[in-house]
Parts: sequence; structure tokens; C-alpha cells
Amino acid sequence: MATPLFQVPLIAEGRFIGLILDILIFALVLYYTSGDKKIYIRRVAGLDAIEEAVGRAAEMGKPVVASYGLGGFTYWTLAGLSILSHVATLSAKTGTRLIVPTGGSTESLIVRPVAEEIVKTAYTMEGVPDQYNPDDLPFLSGQQYAYVGGYVGILQRTRPASTIMTGSHWSDAMNIAETSNAVGAITITSGAYISNVAALACASDYILIGEEAPAAGAYLSDDPSQRASIRVQDIFKWIALGCIILGLVLSNMGINIVENLLST
Amino acid sequence: MAEILKNRQLQIAVMALAFLLVFVPYFIEVPALEAASTKLITITAIVNAVTLILALQSQIRRGLNIVQRRQTGWYFKAYMIITMVLMVVFAFFGRETGPYHWVMYAVVNPLSSVNYGILAFYMASTAARAFRARNTQALLLLTTGFIVLLYQAPLTGAYAPWLEPIALYFGDTFGMAAGRMFLISVTVGAIVFGVRVLMGKETSVLGVGKEEV
Amino acid sequence: MSDNSLMKTLATYDRRWVYLVLFLVVVGPLLRPIGMPISVSPDTRQYYEAISSVEEGDKILFTLNTEFSGYNEIQAGIVATMRVFIEHNTKICVAVGHPEATGIPELVFNQLRSELDANGYVYGEDYVILGYVMPNEASVASMSQDFQGAITQDWLGRSIDDTFLSEINTWEDWDLIADFTTGLATTYLLNHFALRGTPMTVNCIGVMIASQKPYVDSGVYLAILQSMRGGAELEYLTGHPGPGLTAMDAFTFGHYMLLLFIIAGNVGYYGYTRQQRGGG
Repeated sequence: MATPLFQVPLIAEGRFIGLILDILIFALVLYYTSGDKKIYIRRVAGLDAIEEAVGRAAEMGKPVVASYGLGGFTYWTLAGLSILSHVATLSAKTGTRLIVPTGGSTESLIVRPVAEEIVKTAYTMEGVPDQYNPDDLPFLSGQQYAYVGGYVGILQRTRPASTIMTGSHWSDAMNIAETSNAVGAITITSGAYISNVAALACASDYILIGEEAPAAGAYLSDDPSQRASIRVQDIFKWIALGCIILGLVLSNMGINIVENLLST
Repeated sequence: MAEILKNRQLQIAVMALAFLLVFVPYFIEVPALEAASTKLITITAIVNAVTLILALQSQIRRGLNIVQRRQTGWYFKAYMIITMVLMVVFAFFGRETGPYHWVMYAVVNPLSSVNYGILAFYMASTAARAFRARNTQALLLLTTGFIVLLYQAPLTGAYAPWLEPIALYFGDTFGMAAGRMFLISVTVGAIVFGVRVLMGKETSVLGVGKEEV
Repeated sequence: MSDNSLMKTLATYDRRWVYLVLFLVVVGPLLRPIGMPISVSPDTRQYYEAISSVEEGDKILFTLNTEFSGYNEIQAGIVATMRVFIEHNTKICVAVGHPEATGIPELVFNQLRSELDANGYVYGEDYVILGYVMPNEASVASMSQDFQGAITQDWLGRSIDDTFLSEINTWEDWDLIADFTTGLATTYLLNHFALRGTPMTVNCIGVMIASQKPYVDSGVYLAILQSMRGGAELEYLTGHPGPGLTAMDAFTFGHYMLLLFIIAGNVGYYGYTRQQRGGG
């Protein structure tokens, strides 16, 4: 077991380095979101495909089915709502019907009004408020498997051109992705849990892995400073990689300083 | 009053205050702050519970609307309302015996189990459809998956014990490395996302599009 | 049937054949178990050692973070683990993280009635069922910081003042948390109990294993029991065959069938699909 290197007064044991890293993240995000820093960000196929998916639906005259997840106000759900906002805007622009199945857990009940407002605002901003249909955001159930049953039923009946399933989906993800594939829709999903990533990578046409979904709001934004904040995630991944390599080398030499430092 | 509550800056300020009230006590040991944090967490739990009542009211109101207007599928909504009301009534007769207990064990639990069991069929059809060795990387992935899947069958472990160290090696090295990096990247992504939310850059949290801010 | 027709069939078969064959190979061994041998994995041995190391009087928080559907997969592990705890005369508090799981403690204790009677277990003194008390992180956090403030009664509405739970105040007062999960409140238990030092074991469903194993390797969890197979292995180690071991034949056949379909699909891919694309 690791031993903290030192104890800082007032700070809880073992949390000092965590606090420093959190403050560093704050500072870096503030730095990158201030000013007009233009940072290169690689293409994220899943996010780029959203526009293609909605366009396909518009050409085929079929609806788009998009969901933002089952959970409450977790960052996955918020990421899903960011993507839903983008999908709703595109749907409003192209005149495509957008269906948003909601529900899946008791916590999802408090997220639903936010989702309704996002979709309604998107249609209003594009100047087509009459195209917004509240019945296209059906609340299916507060229970996961009942939600799946309803979602799969919607896919089977409406046979959408595209299914965009982002946010926090649990064991329902597989059902929905496979059914979406069976009805011939382009399937874009996000793997909120590593458990789901492998299965969804097989079942979907495009998948957002790991932090690609939380970064979606910034990636899809027209604001360069928001896109620049994604660089902070990369910086910290390099820091983590450096700690891993350094720790590996030193611990094989019998020096546990990295482990002890991170436990401080 | 409604206009004041809708003010975006006020909403972000409340979010920031709630964040500090939970974030600071985690790192800095101040008993008064910890007590306030615990109280805030308890309040959140109560608010979450009250949303159930809100949901019940919302669902019944909406369902009655659809039934009255005889919209498509109105009978399903009628069925839903009847079962919702019945379950609430049944709960007053006790949960460990009686009609509530029967509905949970004879209807809800088996239905839930069936949906879970269906996952296996979807997994199987996905695996049969998508696991193709299209290129070298896919071949490597398929071979690894094949070995791990073969090991997972209990009979293989009994008659081919030499497979165990290979399969465990894949899981304990590559699998665990992938899991750890996923955890690290998701955690950092979540923190960066949270900072953007506190700065008011992520407007989806407040339920509006970017143009309205 | 010509070779080309066979390859085409292997490449383009309807997915409903997969469903039918899987159904048959799984239902058959469930109706007529064969009794094939199994091996015990190192993870299960580690789990068995961890749960067997509890001492008489230890206070154990037995958390069921599963819907009833998930219970079918981890049922073997739940019953086998509970049996071990009862045989060691520990104090067991059962808490549930999903409304559907409120009936599971009753099912488990009914199966272990003879063990409860043999060890003189009395409700309130030796075991308590709290019911659905972990709906979200806020409630788990409250339980870890101020248990007496968060929990005042059991699932039947009786006060916990006269039970062994009156001695529990914070995360430090638990000797072990045995979590059985499909992924509900487990992260909350990790954040508010295990990372503060409360020993914790986990029995999870198959898809969660990859995400939970790093915590075992880093020492946050004492051990992990992997899904139905782990439960069957634990039944074997404890010498009490149950639903886990019964299902292992079907488990084996299902896996082998899946592998056969993957092989068939790849043979069809190379024998037909790839040639079609290359010739086109």
C-alpha cells in the first residue's frame, strides 16, 4: 500500500495531489477558453457523422430517432443533451422529423423537461416552431427494460433513417443498437461504460468512445475557445501517461516515489 | 419572480455554490462545511424522491389527455394509467404480501428478466454478424476474443487448463489497461466538461440553445 | 448444395437462425443438466478467501444493486456468499439499490432458512433488511457520513434502535461491504466507502468485469466474483450446488455455439462476400 509523502495541514489525508490536479485543470480550462486560441483537433468520426445522418434522413423522408440517455443529471446525460441540441438544430433546418424517446430510470424524470426545452428552442431558433411536436418526445417508462421495449417498438414502427443514441445507456444499449441496425438505420452511439464499448463498437456504424461524448458540446460549437478547452483533456492524458511510465520504471527499480506522491 | 429565477447568471451562481459546498469539504476538513455538505446531499435526495410524485402527476395528466382525444394508441395509455393507480392502491395493502407482492413477482420481475435475457440473443446475432477478420488488426482482435470466449466456457477450463494463463493474460494486461485508460480519459473529460458548465459555456445544462444565452 | 451456395448461406444467413439455435442449445441443458466439470478461476479463489476471512460478530453491509433481471445472473453468488457469512456468525445488514430488488432478500433468506436456524439467527440481533435505501449518490453519501441520521427504520418500518445497527455511525464501523451489482449504486459505494478504507468485495455481471477489475488490482476491492460462472465456482468451493452449477452446461453450450457461428460467418465472408466484392 502506498504511503503519502507528506501531510498538508487542513487538507484531508491522501487528497492533496488530487486537489492540485483539479486546480490545474481549472486553470488550464480558463486559459484555453479565454481569447481566440485555435487548436488542432482531430476529426471525430461519430460527431461528424451526425450531420450526414440527419441529411440522410431528410433525403429519404424518414425520421431521426435520438436519445440522450437514461440517467439523471450526470455528465453523460449532459453530453447527450449537448448532442441532442445539435441534432435538433439540424433536424429543424432540414425539416426532418425528430423523435426523442425519454425515460429509462426514475432520475430521467427530472431531465425530461430540459430535453423538451432544448428541442423546442432549436425549432424556434430555426424559425419553424410549428414543426415541434411534443408527442415526438414520448416518455416511455421509468423502468429500463420497459423503456427498451418502447424504444425498440418506435424503431420497428417508424423505421428511421438514423438512430443517434448518446448519453448514458446501460444494458439497453445493445438492444437498441442491434434493432436499429436491423431496420437499416445509420447507428451512432456513445459508449458511456467500457462494458458497452465493445458491444456497441460491433453493433453501431459510428461510436463515440470515452471522452469524445463529453467533448461533443465543445467540438460541435462554433466557439474556438470552447474547442480549445478540449486540449486540456489531452494534456492530462499525457500527464497520466508520463506518471505511468515513470512509475513503472522507478517501481521496477524499487523506488515507489510516484505511487507515494500520487497518494499524498 | 419567475423572471428572476430564469436569469442564467443566477442559475450558474447557484450551481457554482452547490459545487463548492460539495467540492471543498472533500479536500478541506472543516466540520461546519462537512455538515452543510451532508445537509445539501440529503436535500438533493429528498428532491429526487419528490420528482417521482411529479412524474406520476405528469404521466396521468398526459395519459388522460391522450385517452380523451382518442389519439393513436390511446388504449395503451388507458392501460398504463389503470396499472399505475392500481399499484399505488395495492401498496397501501402492504408490500410483502397481497396484490402488490403478486404483481411484482408474477408480472414485473419476469417481464424484466425476459428483456434481460433477450440481450443474449442480440449479443449473439451481433457477434455472428460483425466479427469479421477484414484486416490484420481485426484478425488479431478476433483471435484474442476467440481465446477469451473459449476460456469463459467452464468446460474448456476443465479439459484445456493450458488456455487459462493465456486468457487471463489478455484480461489482466490488455483488458485492464484499456479499462484504466477509459477511466482516466472519461474522468478528465468529465472534469473539463464540469468546468465548462460552471463557466456557463455548456448551455444544454440550463435547457437552452446557444443562441438564447 | 454447391460450394458457392454453401458459402453464400454461411455469409448471409438470417439472424433468426442464430436466435433459434441459441434458444435450443441453452434450453436443452437447462431442462436436462448433463453435469459437465468446471474449473475454478484464481479470482473466485481470491473472493472465497476474502469472504471466508470474516470473523464472528463482524458487521457486513450486504448491498443488492441489481434489478430483478440481473438477479438471475448473480443469484448463485448472492446465495453462496450469504451462506458463508451465516456460517461465520456475522451480523448482516441487507440494503437494496433498486425498487425491483426489495423482494430479493426474502428470496435469499428463504433459501437459507435451515442455515439461519442452525446458527441461531434472530432478526434484529443478527440480521436486518433495510430495503430500498440507496436510490442515488446522495443517500449513499449520507449513509457513509451519518448512518443514524440517514437510516432510522428497516424495510418494514420498524426502528433500528434495538438492532445491531445502533452501533453503526460512519463508514469506519463496517467490517466488510459485499456488493452484488449490475452497476447501480456500486460507484457510490466505491466513492464513499471503499475509497475511505472500508473493505469491499464485488460480484458483478459479465459485462462489468472489465470495468471493475482495475479496482481489484489496485487494492480498492478485496476481490471480484465474476458473474454466473463465478457464482457457480463459489457454489463448487462451498460444497453447495445450486442454480449456478445447474446453468453451467447451458453456459458452455451457448459459448461454443457462438464460436461456431463466428467461424461460420468468417468462412462465409472469405468464401463468398470477399470474392463478390473483389469481382465487382
